[in-house]
Amino acid sequence: MSGLALVQVLSSGIATGCVYGLVALSFVLIYKATGAVSFMQGELLMAGAFAVLALHVAAGWPLAWAVAGGIAGTAAFGAVLERTVLRRALGQAHLTALLLTFGLGMMLRGAVGSVPAATHSMHRLALPFAGESWRFGGLAIAAEHILMIVATAVLALALTLFFRRTRAGVALRACSENPAAAALMGVSVAGMHTLAWALGAGLAAAAGLLLAPVTFVHPNMGLVALKAFPAAVLGGMTSLPGALAGGVFIGVVEALAGFALPEGVKDVVPYVLLMLALLLFPHGLAGGLRRR
Amino acid sequence: MPASGVVRWTAGMIGLAVLGALALRALGPEYVLAQAAFVFTHAIAGLGVVLVVGQCGQIPLGQGALLGLGAYAETLLALRGVPAPVSLPLAIALGAAGGWLASLPARRLGGLYFAMSTLAFALIVEEALVRWESLTGGAAGLAVPALALGSWSANTAAAQAGLSLVALALAGFGCRRWVASRLGRAWRAVREDESAAAASGIDISRAKMLAFVLGGGLAALGGALYAHWIGFVSPEQFGLALSFELLMLVFIGGARRLAGALWGALVVIAIPQAISLASEVLPPDLAAAAGLETMLFGAVVVAVIVLRPEGLAGRRSRSS
Repeated sequence: MSGLALVQVLSSGIATGCVYGLVALSFVLIYKATGAVSFMQGELLMAGAFAVLALHVAAGWPLAWAVAGGIAGTAAFGAVLERTVLRRALGQAHLTALLLTFGLGMMLRGAVGSVPAATHSMHRLALPFAGESWRFGGLAIAAEHILMIVATAVLALALTLFFRRTRAGVALRACSENPAAAALMGVSVAGMHTLAWALGAGLAAAAGLLLAPVTFVHPNMGLVALKAFPAAVLGGMTSLPGALAGGVFIGVVEALAGFALPEGVKDVVPYVLLMLALLLFPHGLAGGLRRR
Repeated sequence: MPASGVVRWTAGMIGLAVLGALALRALGPEYVLAQAAFVFTHAIAGLGVVLVVGQCGQIPLGQGALLGLGAYAETLLALRGVPAPVSLPLAIALGAAGGWLASLPARRLGGLYFAMSTLAFALIVEEALVRWESLTGGAAGLAVPALALGSWSANTAAAQAGLSLVALALAGFGCRRWVASRLGRAWRAVREDESAAAASGIDISRAKMLAFVLGGGLAALGGALYAHWIGFVSPEQFGLALSFELLMLVFIGGARRLAGALWGALVVIAIPQAISLASEVLPPDLAAAAGLETMLFGAVVVAVIVLRPEGLAGRRSRSS
């Protein structure tokens, strides 16, 4: 394997891994704050991508406005869902929230699939400089990969600042650590749950937007979220940086497996990793290292 | 309680009879019997999920793969001319072995982590079915011969429904025995509080393992019959969608009660039929929409969880 080819495989793996990581991040954020296992992150991702597409192509908004509007709209949708339906699964067994979110995801997928314009043709969201590649000597890296990595880094930075520097962020963290104590300190726990769902939905929408130039925008694009579960578990299920790192790790290993191993191995690698991680480090890689 | 139980049972049976009569009138006996056969096979697999979810309190996200193991084992054996009385037990054994394998991580993990490991197990099995082309025919799938007992083969819908009903009755009888046994009490203890169960001398790994072995065997039996009735198997039939369909099935019916499997199977099989009936009435644009069935299915699941968390067969006040 030549060095240049390796760098290209790595860059595409990191870029795909960023999408896995963002979805895993949204999953972990919701799980930590509300205790709900969300199986609809993939559908929120798909809805976000379609929302941007609809605003940009159908409604004719400029791209930047459509992106902001689509992400904000998906976040608001997540908040409304929490207020109306998801709140009822609070405090019940994992399975209740899991099936409730899965059912909502099915409704979302079905609703988008029922719009003829959404299903009858393949859509590609034209982000600026998509399809171009940046050349460094003999090395060519697709511009959308760089965009994905940079955007993920910016989002991670913004989230870090939010959780460290803002009142709402600190309150959300307090809520995840100990809801009863947070409530005694005057934090509105119910409000924080709504905020967590809004953030989770917005993050998923952002991930969908980044994925849009690579795959087509279609009702089943949410399947990518299945790769986010191994990422979340590798990160220890309760660690936000761990989830992002887990996603990037899965993306890189998957890309390397696709490059070096026979066809088909690539698709099982994330789940084999998940099994191994669960059996060897039942508390996640981060938890396993912390205990040593 | 017994009096209201009798009333509920009678009301349920009358409702079922009315529904059955209406369906017979609208669709014809052959069609209804064929659908009934699918209701029964789904209910058999659903019983296995009830054992794992409702009794033992674990979350199986990969039950569809165990169904697939049973279906593929039965198909491959039937294609090689193995008679059903031999091949069915072998298929069940393979499903039970798969359940055992899927339950191994439970020795070290609990709750959600274990659920994730069953998800990974199912996805690996599905990929193996696709890639092992020399044996399984890959993604293109395999045609399944009719179920044969000696010179007689189950070709008619009536025979298929009858056989499925007998299998379901046997499975239901077995489940009643298990639930009422020492093992059933151990499952419920594990469900309510693992630490307390372990402190009372219950081997919780063994209880979980047995729930998965029995659940896997039942899933494989349902899968083997399903493969015969539908006449064709491919890996995508037994993917994650089926695993979740089974979970939704027992949740709609009522995960805590064995009868929930049958009620849930009825709803799960009836929804696509209801849609195809309704599509004759609906405006053509809406009826042709691909997502309608998915949307309605999701809506039913959400409605049941929000409005009736104990499921259709569950009691409103008290859980058993």
